[in-house]
Amino acid sequence: MQNKAVVYKYSVKLMWPAMCRNRSVEILKDRPDLVDQMNKFRQKVDNVLKLVSRKHYQVDAAYLMSGVRLWFESGQDCYDFIIRQPEFEWEIQPELSVMNPITSQLQTFDIVYTPTGVTID
Amino acid sequence: MAMKSAYITVIGNLPIRFDMEQAKVLGPVIASANSNKSIVFDYATANTETNLQDILNSASFRGTELLVPEALFKKYVFFDGVNCLPEFPGLKSYDIDPEKCSPQTLSLMLAVYLRQTVVFLLGYDISNPTELTRLKSIALANPQTKFMYICNPPRTHQLDDLENGFCDTFVKFQELIDRAE
Repeated sequence: MQNKAVVYKYSVKLMWPAMCRNRSVEILKDRPDLVDQMNKFRQKVDNVLKLVSRKHYQVDAAYLMSGVRLWFESGQDCYDFIIRQPEFEWEIQPELSVMNPITSQLQTFDIVYTPTGVTID
Repeated sequence: MAMKSAYITVIGNLPIRFDMEQAKVLGPVIASANSNKSIVFDYATANTETNLQDILNSASFRGTELLVPEALFKKYVFFDGVNCLPEFPGLKSYDIDPEKCSPQTLSLMLAVYLRQTVVFLLGYDISNPTELTRLKSIALANPQTKFMYICNPPRTHQLDDLENGFCDTFVKFQELIDRAE
């Protein structure tokens, strides 16, 4: 049977812990403690996603100064992850990126938190 | 990855009695809202919430790429099959509002956007003058694309003034499918 390729349609950026944010590569070279903390954070995120995601997900390996990019195959998994942030005490950049299969472009929308959940603007 | 086809079929607003599964032999098939539900379409367009909800609740649309205007997309962004319609070039010159026009016009614009060279129109309502005018406007703006209106006999002459607009019968369409198979 042919395996269907996994398409990661949804993406959010999860901010690093406060002390690790906006650190240049040069600074990180001198601060192995921060690098260690970032690696542990990334591992923890991966472990949590393994537990809560029903479909495929990916923790992006590329280094970003503000946070780590997460990719989801399923919209439901992505939504659940966004609304469960207070539970993990993490902070998501309030932007949702969605891959458009027709244009192959990544469209970005603002995430708006409401008392009943989140909406997209 | 499937080879890109030169043909695309647009199923319009009118329900039709034709085995649309066969049209998939020629290339992708686009459904317009929920007028036809008989097969799993490659794409479907909608611009009202009622239609979109009906499509989402129809088993036959599982696996179909649903394309809706941006405002509606934002409400249903977390539904895996729902995607945002691209920005079609020249919409203002056609005087077409994607949120208010008919789903078949959206499907037609999507077919043109996907750059297929021949667009078959099945169950496409041209009895409405606005719909006919829009079809002609889109055909005039895309001279490299051929628009083949498929109907039961007698064939219509409504598209005769277009250089790239043609009309043929379901029998001829079936023959083309048989040759492709």
